[in-house]
Amino acid sequence: MAILTCKGLSKRFGGTQALDQVDITIEPGRIVGLLGPNGSGKTTLIKLANGLLTPSEGEIRICGLVPGKESHACVSYLPERTAIPTWMSVTQLLDFYQDFYADFRRDAAEEMLAHLNIPPKQRIKQMSKGTREKVQLIMVMSRSAKLYLLDEPIGGVDPATRDYILSTIIGNYNPDAAVVISTHLIADVEKVLDDVVFINQGRIMLQASVDQIREEKGMSVDALFREVFKC
Amino acid sequence: MKWQFSNDAPIYAQLIAQIKVGIVSGAFPPGERLPSVRDLATEAGVNPNTMQRALTELERDGLVYSQRTAGRFVTEDQTMIDAAKRGLAEGHIQMFLAAMRRLGYGKEDILNLLRQENEKEETTHGDFDM
Amino acid sequence: MLRKLIKHEFRATGRVMLPLFLVLLVTSVGANFSARGMLDTRYKVLDVLGSLLVMAFAIAIFGVCVMSVVLMVQRFYKNLLQDEGYVMMTLPVSVHQHIWSKLIVSAVWFALTIVVVCLAACIVAFDVGFVQELIQGFRELFRELSQYLNAYYAINGTVIILEFLAICFVGCCVMCLQFYAALAMGHSSPNHKMAWSVLWFFALQFATQLLAGSLLALLDESWLHHLLLAWTEGWHLSGTAATQLMMLIVILGEVLYGAVYYFLTTWFLKKRLNLE
Repeated sequence: MAILTCKGLSKRFGGTQALDQVDITIEPGRIVGLLGPNGSGKTTLIKLANGLLTPSEGEIRICGLVPGKESHACVSYLPERTAIPTWMSVTQLLDFYQDFYADFRRDAAEEMLAHLNIPPKQRIKQMSKGTREKVQLIMVMSRSAKLYLLDEPIGGVDPATRDYILSTIIGNYNPDAAVVISTHLIADVEKVLDDVVFINQGRIMLQASVDQIREEKGMSVDALFREVFKC
Repeated sequence: MKWQFSNDAPIYAQLIAQIKVGIVSGAFPPGERLPSVRDLATEAGVNPNTMQRALTELERDGLVYSQRTAGRFVTEDQTMIDAAKRGLAEGHIQMFLAAMRRLGYGKEDILNLLRQENEKEETTHGDFDM
Repeated sequence: MLRKLIKHEFRATGRVMLPLFLVLLVTSVGANFSARGMLDTRYKVLDVLGSLLVMAFAIAIFGVCVMSVVLMVQRFYKNLLQDEGYVMMTLPVSVHQHIWSKLIVSAVWFALTIVVVCLAACIVAFDVGFVQELIQGFRELFRELSQYLNAYYAINGTVIILEFLAICFVGCCVMCLQFYAALAMGHSSPNHKMAWSVLWFFALQFATQLLAGSLLALLDESWLHHLLLAWTEGWHLSGTAATQLMMLIVILGEVLYGAVYYFLTTWFLKKRLNLE
């Protein structure tokens, strides 16, 4: 069964049309890039998949479920900003995730934290921004979810951290799950993607596999993006 | 093993080429068990499906074979490896010749230039590293 | 899941409330020393110190009570409507569970605040002559009560106490819900979320006053008034039964009132969530 399906999905905010008749299907085992400039609707789509927004028109389904309590149990979401409660210590955060998510693999998380030399007693608020983002990523990737939604995971971090984040994503690959990475930093992410979806002003412009684009158009996805979204 | 990628060719094709280089150069010795698809993909920084596709093609070519539960292994057939090495070398040479012809060099000039450059290399480095 | 949410709520709010309780108890000890004799010594310094300790105690009591309410409000919007909302609102938990966990925990902290304030008051008064009189007073009260103690009063007494506690609990929830609804409604706007929340709070209060006023006007010298009188014509209620009826009516009223705010809160959190 497809992990994520959108049929005629639209979202309006007052006067702005954030998403317009979006049709997407994402199958398990695929790492999909949701690529578009800022304000193109990437975050809106992800929030709709999370149930943080409700559609104005059309439908969105996660493993056949309407976004809600049940779908939350099989979706692992990495928001753009640091959302983990900063007053907690790492151990308390691990307790939190373990409590609420049956699919949370605490041992995997602890191993990754140890690998990065993050002391379990340290409080989130004492960490640098980069470390906080890594901790959040570790929590998200330590879940055995069906759908991983990563909103700008490599946005504001240094190249070494970017490599770490991408190799964590690859290392956690599960053929039963799908990963959606929303970003505008395409060159870094391209090698990790199976498929790409180009989105602009709320509309889907292109849906293809990376191999297809390179073979048929003879250019990288990054180059194609620059062409399609030329200012 | 250093993994390098360019922007024009599909990644799986580049992976095939680079793994071949690895096998031929001894980074993946004959009969050696290859790391899992996921580990290789993580090492190369690529999508596991893409790595899987590359390995499947290499299996089809006979450079690599898989055993049910044991994993994937590099072939022990030295002739296969030599053929691959030859194939890679021919590829490089063809590209070289095309580039030189674009510059305007003829066959004799190319051979002479090669000899001169080779001698220069030998005097400055002593040994020609392979 | 609700139990886990409650546990997590206590952890998050306890780290603020428990130190405050500790501060209150410490200042009450200080005030106790002050009351015991600092105020009429010959040394001016002790005199000043004594007054300061009593003042600290008074401030602490006030502070703890205010913080109880402030924390409850702040916890709601910080945890569900700001950055933490990205984690909380994507948990495999319903909106109802979120709200109930916060209501229950807030009610518990309010109750504990009252208990700790009483405890602090007792500490201040400890070993000062007045405490002995207090204990005497309680003993006499119990003696009086035990005279009337029989099955009827015991059962009714307990029921009335339970009803009273219910009124308090529902009352706490209703107070919280008034804030929660205003916050949920205000934060659905893209800009000036807090400003809108404050506006909604006052708008809802105003609407409530208007409704309550109209209801009172309706009950007084109107068809409803006469209708109710006619219904209760033949009723002869004893003192306790009347009290119980009154309390049940109050509870029902509170629950209905709370239900409106509860509905508003859940609807806005489900359908109009707008995390930035």
